[in-house]
Amino acid sequence: MRSVLALLVVALVVGPGAAAQPGVTGTLNPPQSPRNANYTITARLDPAARTITGTAVITWRNLTTKPAADLQFHLYWNAWKNTQSTFMRERAFGSTGLGPAVDDGQRAKEDWGRIDLTSIAVSSAGAASTDLTSSKRHIAPDDDNAGDETVLSVPLPRVVEAGATATITVAWEAHVPRTFDRTGAIGNFFFIAQWFPKLGVLQDEGWNCHQFHAGTEFFSDYGVYDVSLTVPAGWPVGATGVQRERRENPDGTTTHRYYQEDVHDFAWTTSPDYIERTARFEHSTLPAVDMRLLLQPEHADQADRHFDATRTTLKYYGEWYGAYPYGHITIIDPAFQSAAGGMEYPTLFTAGTRWLAPAGVTTPEGVTIHEAGHQFWYGIVGNNEFEHAWMDEGLNTFSTARAVAHAYDPSYLAMRYFGGFIPWVFRDVVISRETDGNRLAGYRRNARSDAQSTPTFRYFPTSGGSITYNKTALWLNTLERWLGWPTVQRIMATFFERWKFRHPRPEDFFDTASEVAGRDLTGFFDQVHRSSNVFDYGVQSLASAREGDRYRTNVIVRRYGEALFPVDVTVTFRSGERVTEHWDGVERWKLYTYERPAQALSAEVDPDRVLLLDADYTNNSKTLEPKGPAAAAKWSLKWMVWLQDCLLSWAALV
Amino acid sequence: MNCLSALRDGVRRVNRAPSIVIGVWVLTLLVSLPLAVALRGMLEQHLGRSLAADTAASGVNSDWMQEFADQATGLGVTFKPTIIGFGAVLDNLSAFLDNTTRPVAIVGAAAAYIVLWIFVAGGIIDRYARDRATRTHGFFASSGVFFFRFLRLAAVQWVVYAILFGLVHPWLFDRLYPEITRDMTVERTAFLVRVVFYLAFGLPVAAATMVFDYAKVRAVVEDRRSMLGALTSSVRFIQHNAGSATLLFAANFTAFALVVALYAIVAPGAGRSGTMMWIGFALSQLYILARLWVKLTFWASETALFQSRLAHAGYVARPVATWPESPAADAIS
Repeated sequence: MRSVLALLVVALVVGPGAAAQPGVTGTLNPPQSPRNANYTITARLDPAARTITGTAVITWRNLTTKPAADLQFHLYWNAWKNTQSTFMRERAFGSTGLGPAVDDGQRAKEDWGRIDLTSIAVSSAGAASTDLTSSKRHIAPDDDNAGDETVLSVPLPRVVEAGATATITVAWEAHVPRTFDRTGAIGNFFFIAQWFPKLGVLQDEGWNCHQFHAGTEFFSDYGVYDVSLTVPAGWPVGATGVQRERRENPDGTTTHRYYQEDVHDFAWTTSPDYIERTARFEHSTLPAVDMRLLLQPEHADQADRHFDATRTTLKYYGEWYGAYPYGHITIIDPAFQSAAGGMEYPTLFTAGTRWLAPAGVTTPEGVTIHEAGHQFWYGIVGNNEFEHAWMDEGLNTFSTARAVAHAYDPSYLAMRYFGGFIPWVFRDVVISRETDGNRLAGYRRNARSDAQSTPTFRYFPTSGGSITYNKTALWLNTLERWLGWPTVQRIMATFFERWKFRHPRPEDFFDTASEVAGRDLTGFFDQVHRSSNVFDYGVQSLASAREGDRYRTNVIVRRYGEALFPVDVTVTFRSGERVTEHWDGVERWKLYTYERPAQALSAEVDPDRVLLLDADYTNNSKTLEPKGPAAAAKWSLKWMVWLQDCLLSWAALV
Repeated sequence: MNCLSALRDGVRRVNRAPSIVIGVWVLTLLVSLPLAVALRGMLEQHLGRSLAADTAASGVNSDWMQEFADQATGLGVTFKPTIIGFGAVLDNLSAFLDNTTRPVAIVGAAAAYIVLWIFVAGGIIDRYARDRATRTHGFFASSGVFFFRFLRLAAVQWVVYAILFGLVHPWLFDRLYPEITRDMTVERTAFLVRVVFYLAFGLPVAAATMVFDYAKVRAVVEDRRSMLGALTSSVRFIQHNAGSATLLFAANFTAFALVVALYAIVAPGAGRSGTMMWIGFALSQLYILARLWVKLTFWASETALFQSRLAHAGYVARPVATWPESPAADAIS
């Protein structure tokens, strides 16, 4: 009785937040997702040979209304088998001057990756297991590229009826590449993602199982992952889920068993160099979260920065959108040159920092918040990243910028010198959430490259990021400035609540937005999502001349871009009077005329900068007291000192 | 005379001829000013009568800078936040060591600046070698006498530096460095390797610079016409005085490092337009003057060391140019 009372007291003291925390065992009760793709995997890493051999038992349920006549699997690592894959061909655009150069031709044989399915057997409806290994074939649904082996189709001898379950047993062998796209090995650092034969998503329209593309990520169903990983003894493992068991083997290896429910992927990492730190997120209304950080030794002094940034994410995203339900999260600090940084996986993400990371600059905080934020937008709300990457990357970029502005204000620009090793902080240049956080400059450069509604994997490869990340963040922040944060917060929270552990499509977001905002936002989404038109409003002319005892002021504002948005026009007079007009922004131009006792001083279109997508904000205003000459003088003198120093550098050789 | 005495003597010689420091500063100003005026025009045109200029004038309008950069061509592409304060110095040092390509307009200005330095080098070293006033006509007469000799020397310099920057640097940093650091998973180690590579590249550059410096010194002090002869005698001198010459070079380099470090502390930020702008500019020009002073001290102290070892202070083989100094000039009267 006394112990029961003691427990009650503890429960009351700890409060509702902690009491709501699920047991940190990887289980979620009740089930949060359909759990229709469940994987029990056993895999072994041979670090010397850089191979993984594995077997998996997949229990898959057909959630559609139609029978399934085949199975389709992603074999992502075959994208790195040779230069013929669609991934490598798209990546090679960089070598033709269309983006960063990629010299994959220099890769040694052992640096390439591959995955070979060595056997597959399927049983369903209580029937005996059928070996289908000989009937598997590679398909290329996106581009018919015969050289692409990233999608495998296996015809079924008997259909899997709607609602029925199939048990699939697969075995595979894989060669771990030198890191490609955040996956692979360098030295004794291994980051293993997209590494097992993974089922696509069966929809009523058929299998949604795209090839691996250079510019897009992943899509899969939710389920339960029970994964046993055998690695050399003494090598720490970080993985999706919670470690339930650890067994030392007589051959000098250790088997780690990880378990997690209601996730749609499983990634892991191992390296003997990791140092481990733990901390805990606690909040008055949100469930507590155990944080585990696997850190590079040279970043040992940055552990708290990683934890603080993760806490920031769990706090703000949790307060704004909804609680993080898993009770634990693993933060991976990848090795230098591993190219594994800045990537999200369920309950685990890779951050990314540098040896020299000065205070006041949001490295590693920015990337940590972004990738931790993907637990919400990607992990919990599981959109199709092949087709609508903006739904996770864009929503998350917007949220990252907002969280960074809340927690790390001010932060400053830093530039790196001497091979990128030495940072220098420019304390004069304060990072702005609206333009820097939402990445306006990148969007401006690529604004017309694609309509956002184009399936993401069909975006122009080297500019797709600007449409996916930047444009979405900018239009969401525009929406926030237009409708107010409470409305946008309710939109996103409602969308989160409705679509968590499910696969939303763009219309689901748009419908939620209109419904919650209480107004039809279709016109707005037509402009920002279904078009590649550019917004550009400006003041064409401002004239204010005396006529008798009054001044006649003419302001002509113009829509220079094709896209439409209602904007305010504000005219300020020397008397201090400010007149604000509301322009629907539809016509190409509009004239405003005033007769006042005072001369006009300035005119501005969108003075509050609601429309963050405006590609040229410099032309949004005109003043009769221009400071352009003063500003130009100041900056040209600054530049002259830079030039003089540059000249002196080379004159040292005289 | 040991290297410290040579350094002291060099400092004294430079300080006794402030007009040379002022002169090369004016030279630097004259080369940079037209380009700054051109950039000012670009900035003013882009800002127009926009209110964006208000924040640009009173501080940093980062958004406007990005907008400008996105449409900029030519000189304009170099207008980035890196020009603010000490960032400018880091940018240039980094570009020098990393062999970063600059826009054509900047390369053209640098080439013109180097030619002007080649022109005045003879007059400057002559002044320091004599250690007494040579007056304007003496200065320019020496400059004229040695200009074409130094142009021939510059041809050799160009070949040497072209090999260093065009072949050695890419081999070191684009080929060898990536190979060595390819599997490094610790950034600190990779950085240490890069520092070693900077030294491996910087030492031959410094050695070449030292050889060319003493070649110029010997050409002026000994009135040498053959630049190949000046080069071989420079190498001989350095061989026979390796310790002093190297230590003197290191001491001068230390002075350069001190000036840069001091500027890192006091470099003005973006500031405001108006009076603060001019105060910041004046401070920056003090830094430029200090850099020039260090450069001149290199030559003056090397001249002092050479004279102390193979001649005597103030010894210069060629007589001082006096007016009228040429038959053509005599013929005028």
